[in-house]
Amino acid sequence: MIRKAIGHIISCKDASRLVSRREEATLSAWQRLVLRLHLSVCVACSRFERQIAFLRNAMQKYRQ
Amino acid sequence: MATADFSRDLEPQRGYLLRVARLQLRDEALAEDVVQETLLAALAGSGFSGKSSLRTWLTGILKHKIVDAIRKKQREPTVASAFGDVESEMDIEDFDAMFNERGGWDPKPADWGNPEEALNQRQFLDVMDLCLEKLPPNTARVFMMREVMELETDEICKELTINANNLWVILYRARMALRQCLEETWFARKD
Repeated sequence: MIRKAIGHIISCKDASRLVSRREEATLSAWQRLVLRLHLSVCVACSRFERQIAFLRNAMQKYRQ
Repeated sequence: MATADFSRDLEPQRGYLLRVARLQLRDEALAEDVVQETLLAALAGSGFSGKSSLRTWLTGILKHKIVDAIRKKQREPTVASAFGDVESEMDIEDFDAMFNERGGWDPKPADWGNPEEALNQRQFLDVMDLCLEKLPPNTARVFMMREVMELETDEICKELTINANNLWVILYRARMALRQCLEETWFARKD
Protein backbone atom coordinates (compact mmCIF):
# COMPACT_ATOMS: atom_id res chain seq x y z
CA MET A 1 0.00 0.00 0.00
CA ILE A 2 2.72 2.44 1.02
CA ARG A 3 4.93 1.22 -1.84
CA LYS A 4 2.12 1.91 -4.25
CA ALA A 5 1.54 5.38 -2.85
CA ILE A 6 5.27 6.18 -3.11
CA GLY A 7 5.30 4.91 -6.69
CA HIS A 8 2.52 7.32 -7.59
CA ILE A 9 4.11 10.54 -6.33
CA ILE A 10 5.41 10.84 -9.87
CA SER A 11 4.48 8.65 -12.84
CA CYS A 12 6.90 6.36 -14.69
CA LYS A 13 6.66 8.77 -17.60
CA ASP A 14 7.89 11.65 -15.43
CA ALA A 15 10.51 9.47 -13.77
CA SER A 16 11.91 8.42 -17.17
CA ARG A 17 12.24 12.07 -18.19
CA LEU A 18 14.12 12.90 -14.99
CA VAL A 19 16.47 9.93 -15.49
CA SER A 20 17.35 11.25 -18.95
CA ARG A 21 17.61 14.88 -17.89
CA ARG A 22 19.97 13.93 -15.07
CA GLU A 23 22.56 12.96 -17.72
CA GLU A 24 22.83 16.62 -18.76
CA ALA A 25 21.73 18.73 -15.82
CA THR A 26 21.66 18.71 -12.04
CA LEU A 27 18.17 17.98 -10.80
CA SER A 28 16.60 20.11 -8.08
CA ALA A 29 16.55 18.72 -4.54
CA TRP A 30 12.85 17.97 -4.91
CA GLN A 31 13.33 16.20 -8.24
CA ARG A 32 16.14 14.11 -6.77
CA LEU A 33 13.97 13.13 -3.81
CA VAL A 34 10.87 12.12 -5.77
CA LEU A 35 12.96 10.28 -8.35
CA ARG A 36 14.82 8.37 -5.66
CA LEU A 37 11.58 7.41 -3.96
CA HIS A 38 10.05 6.32 -7.24
CA LEU A 39 13.07 4.22 -8.24
CA SER A 40 13.10 2.56 -4.81
CA VAL A 41 9.72 0.96 -5.48
CA CYS A 42 9.53 0.72 -9.30
CA VAL A 43 11.21 -2.25 -10.99
CA ALA A 44 10.46 -1.00 -14.52
CA CYS A 45 12.02 2.43 -13.97
CA SER A 46 15.02 0.89 -12.20
CA ARG A 47 15.59 -1.22 -15.32
CA PHE A 48 15.24 1.89 -17.45
CA GLU A 49 17.78 3.74 -15.29
CA ARG A 50 20.28 0.89 -15.67
CA GLN A 51 19.67 0.72 -19.43
CA ILE A 52 20.32 4.45 -19.83
CA ALA A 53 23.61 4.07 -17.95
CA PHE A 54 24.46 1.13 -20.20
CA LEU A 55 23.70 3.22 -23.29
CA ARG A 56 26.34 5.71 -22.20
CA ASN A 57 28.90 2.90 -21.69
CA ALA A 58 27.99 1.45 -25.06
CA MET A 59 28.62 4.79 -26.79
CA GLN A 60 31.99 5.05 -25.05
CA LYS A 61 32.80 1.62 -26.44
CA TYR A 62 31.60 2.72 -29.86
CA ARG A 63 34.18 5.48 -29.76
CA GLN A 64 37.14 3.32 -28.71
CA MET B 1 58.93 6.79 -43.66
CA ALA B 2 57.17 7.74 -40.47
CA THR B 3 54.38 9.28 -42.53
CA ALA B 4 53.85 6.10 -44.52
CA ASP B 5 53.52 4.12 -41.29
CA PHE B 6 51.16 6.67 -39.83
CA SER B 7 48.89 6.69 -42.87
CA ARG B 8 48.73 2.90 -42.64
CA ASP B 9 47.51 3.30 -39.04
CA LEU B 10 44.92 5.83 -40.12
CA GLU B 11 43.35 3.77 -42.88
CA PRO B 12 41.51 1.26 -40.63
CA GLN B 13 39.88 4.19 -38.79
CA ARG B 14 38.25 5.49 -41.95
CA GLY B 15 35.16 3.27 -41.69
CA TYR B 16 34.46 4.37 -38.12
CA LEU B 17 34.94 8.06 -38.95
CA LEU B 18 32.58 7.76 -41.92
CA ARG B 19 29.89 6.10 -39.81
CA VAL B 20 30.08 8.85 -37.21
CA ALA B 21 30.08 11.61 -39.85
CA ARG B 22 27.17 10.06 -41.79
CA LEU B 23 25.05 9.77 -38.66
CA GLN B 24 25.51 13.46 -37.97
CA LEU B 25 25.36 14.90 -41.46
CA ARG B 26 23.05 12.47 -43.30
CA ASP B 27 24.80 13.51 -46.47
CA GLU B 28 27.11 10.97 -48.07
CA ALA B 29 29.26 13.42 -50.06
CA LEU B 30 29.64 15.83 -47.16
CA ALA B 31 30.51 12.95 -44.80
CA GLU B 32 33.22 11.79 -47.23
CA ASP B 33 34.58 15.35 -47.35
CA VAL B 34 34.84 15.84 -43.60
CA VAL B 35 36.51 12.44 -43.16
CA GLN B 36 38.97 13.27 -45.93
CA GLU B 37 39.75 16.60 -44.25
CA THR B 38 40.12 14.88 -40.90
CA LEU B 39 42.61 12.35 -42.25
CA LEU B 40 44.56 15.06 -44.06
CA ALA B 41 44.68 17.18 -40.92
CA ALA B 42 45.83 14.12 -38.96
CA LEU B 43 48.64 13.48 -41.45
CA ALA B 44 49.69 17.13 -41.63
CA GLY B 45 49.69 17.77 -37.90
CA SER B 46 51.91 16.04 -35.43
CA GLY B 47 49.49 16.43 -32.54
CA PHE B 48 49.11 12.74 -31.83
CA SER B 49 50.97 12.06 -28.61
CA GLY B 50 49.82 8.50 -28.05
CA LYS B 51 48.35 9.50 -24.69
CA SER B 52 44.82 8.88 -25.91
CA SER B 53 43.86 6.20 -28.42
CA LEU B 54 44.28 7.07 -32.09
CA ARG B 55 40.52 6.83 -32.52
CA THR B 56 39.81 9.25 -29.67
CA TRP B 57 42.32 11.70 -31.11
CA LEU B 58 40.78 11.44 -34.60
CA THR B 59 37.29 11.87 -33.11
CA GLY B 60 38.49 15.19 -31.67
CA ILE B 61 39.60 16.39 -35.11
CA LEU B 62 36.42 15.12 -36.76
CA LYS B 63 34.33 17.01 -34.18
CA HIS B 64 35.68 20.36 -35.41
CA LYS B 65 35.25 19.41 -39.06
CA ILE B 66 31.62 18.41 -38.46
CA VAL B 67 30.83 21.57 -36.51
CA ASP B 68 32.34 23.60 -39.39
CA ALA B 69 30.28 21.65 -41.94
CA ILE B 70 27.07 22.23 -39.94
CA ARG B 71 27.83 25.96 -39.65
CA LYS B 72 28.39 26.18 -43.40
CA LYS B 73 25.22 24.28 -44.08
CA GLN B 74 23.20 26.52 -41.79
CA ARG B 75 24.27 29.56 -43.76
CA GLU B 76 22.70 28.06 -46.88
CA PRO B 77 19.18 29.31 -47.56
CA THR B 78 17.96 25.72 -47.97
CA VAL B 79 18.86 24.81 -44.41
CA ALA B 80 15.33 23.76 -43.48
CA SER B 81 15.22 21.04 -46.08
CA ALA B 82 18.90 20.17 -45.64
CA PHE B 83 18.47 19.26 -41.99
CA GLY B 84 14.86 18.15 -42.04
CA ASP B 85 12.16 19.36 -39.74
CA VAL B 86 13.79 19.85 -36.36
CA GLU B 87 10.51 21.08 -34.85
CA SER B 88 8.81 17.72 -35.24
CA GLU B 89 11.70 16.04 -33.47
CA MET B 90 11.30 18.28 -30.45
CA ASP B 91 7.78 17.11 -29.75
CA ILE B 92 7.91 15.03 -26.59
CA GLU B 93 4.30 13.86 -26.89
CA ASP B 94 5.31 11.25 -29.46
CA PHE B 95 6.67 9.10 -26.70
CA ASP B 96 3.47 9.17 -24.73
CA ALA B 97 2.61 6.10 -26.78
CA MET B 98 5.12 4.18 -24.66
CA PHE B 99 3.03 4.87 -21.54
CA ASN B 100 -0.56 4.25 -20.56
CA GLU B 101 -2.99 7.03 -19.66
CA ARG B 102 -1.80 7.03 -16.05
CA GLY B 103 1.83 7.45 -17.14
CA GLY B 104 2.83 3.82 -16.48
CA TRP B 105 5.11 1.89 -18.87
CA ASP B 106 3.31 0.03 -21.62
CA PRO B 107 5.06 -2.28 -22.27
CA LYS B 108 7.46 -2.38 -19.31
CA PRO B 109 11.21 -2.33 -20.03
CA ALA B 110 12.54 -5.90 -20.12
CA ASP B 111 15.27 -7.31 -17.90
CA TRP B 112 18.49 -7.03 -19.93
CA GLY B 113 20.49 -9.23 -17.57
CA ASN B 114 24.13 -8.19 -17.72
CA PRO B 115 24.15 -6.03 -20.87
CA GLU B 116 27.89 -5.19 -20.61
CA GLU B 117 28.65 -8.68 -21.94
CA ALA B 118 27.17 -7.64 -25.29
CA LEU B 119 29.81 -4.91 -25.67
CA ASN B 120 32.46 -7.48 -26.59
CA GLN B 121 30.44 -8.84 -29.48
CA ARG B 122 30.97 -7.42 -32.96
CA GLN B 123 27.34 -8.14 -33.91
CA PHE B 124 26.10 -6.02 -31.04
CA LEU B 125 28.00 -2.98 -32.33
CA ASP B 126 26.39 -3.60 -35.74
CA VAL B 127 22.97 -3.60 -34.07
CA MET B 128 23.90 -0.30 -32.35
CA ASP B 129 24.71 1.14 -35.78
CA LEU B 130 21.38 0.03 -37.20
CA CYS B 131 19.49 1.48 -34.25
CA LEU B 132 21.37 4.80 -34.57
CA GLU B 133 20.58 4.95 -38.30
CA LYS B 134 16.90 4.48 -37.54
CA LEU B 135 16.80 7.67 -35.43
CA PRO B 136 15.35 10.79 -37.07
CA PRO B 137 18.21 12.91 -38.54
CA ASN B 138 18.35 15.72 -35.98
CA THR B 139 17.88 13.31 -33.11
CA ALA B 140 20.83 11.22 -34.32
CA ARG B 141 22.94 14.33 -34.82
CA VAL B 142 22.33 15.67 -31.31
CA PHE B 143 22.84 12.26 -29.70
CA MET B 144 26.13 11.68 -31.55
CA MET B 145 27.36 15.18 -30.70
CA ARG B 146 26.61 14.54 -27.05
CA GLU B 147 27.69 10.92 -26.59
CA VAL B 148 30.43 10.38 -29.18
CA MET B 149 31.83 13.87 -29.83
CA GLU B 150 31.33 14.70 -26.15
CA LEU B 151 30.32 18.28 -26.86
CA GLU B 152 28.95 20.23 -23.90
CA THR B 153 25.20 20.82 -24.01
CA ASP B 154 25.57 24.60 -24.40
CA GLU B 155 27.90 24.09 -27.37
CA ILE B 156 25.34 21.84 -29.06
CA CYS B 157 22.57 24.38 -28.43
CA LYS B 158 24.73 27.15 -29.87
CA GLU B 159 25.74 25.24 -33.01
CA LEU B 160 22.23 23.98 -33.77
CA THR B 161 20.43 27.13 -32.52
CA ILE B 162 18.08 25.28 -30.21
CA ASN B 163 17.38 25.95 -26.53
CA ALA B 164 18.25 23.74 -23.55
CA ASN B 165 14.71 22.42 -23.28
CA ASN B 166 14.68 21.38 -26.95
CA LEU B 167 17.98 19.61 -26.35
CA TRP B 168 16.64 17.63 -23.37
CA VAL B 169 13.60 16.55 -25.31
CA ILE B 170 15.70 15.42 -28.28
CA LEU B 171 18.13 13.48 -26.08
CA TYR B 172 15.23 11.89 -24.21
CA ARG B 173 13.70 10.84 -27.53
CA ALA B 174 17.03 9.43 -28.70
CA ARG B 175 17.49 7.40 -25.52
CA MET B 176 13.91 6.11 -25.53
CA ALA B 177 14.14 5.08 -29.18
CA LEU B 178 17.58 3.47 -28.84
CA ARG B 179 16.55 1.61 -25.72
CA GLN B 180 13.49 0.25 -27.45
CA CYS B 181 15.41 -0.70 -30.60
CA LEU B 182 18.16 -2.49 -28.64
CA GLU B 183 15.57 -4.31 -26.57
CA GLU B 184 13.63 -5.49 -29.59
CA THR B 185 16.60 -6.45 -31.74
CA TRP B 186 19.01 -7.78 -29.14
CA PHE B 187 18.10 -8.08 -25.47
CA ALA B 188 14.58 -9.45 -25.67
CA ARG B 189 14.41 -10.76 -29.20
CA LYS B 190 12.14 -13.72 -29.53
CA ASP B 191 13.67 -16.25 -31.86
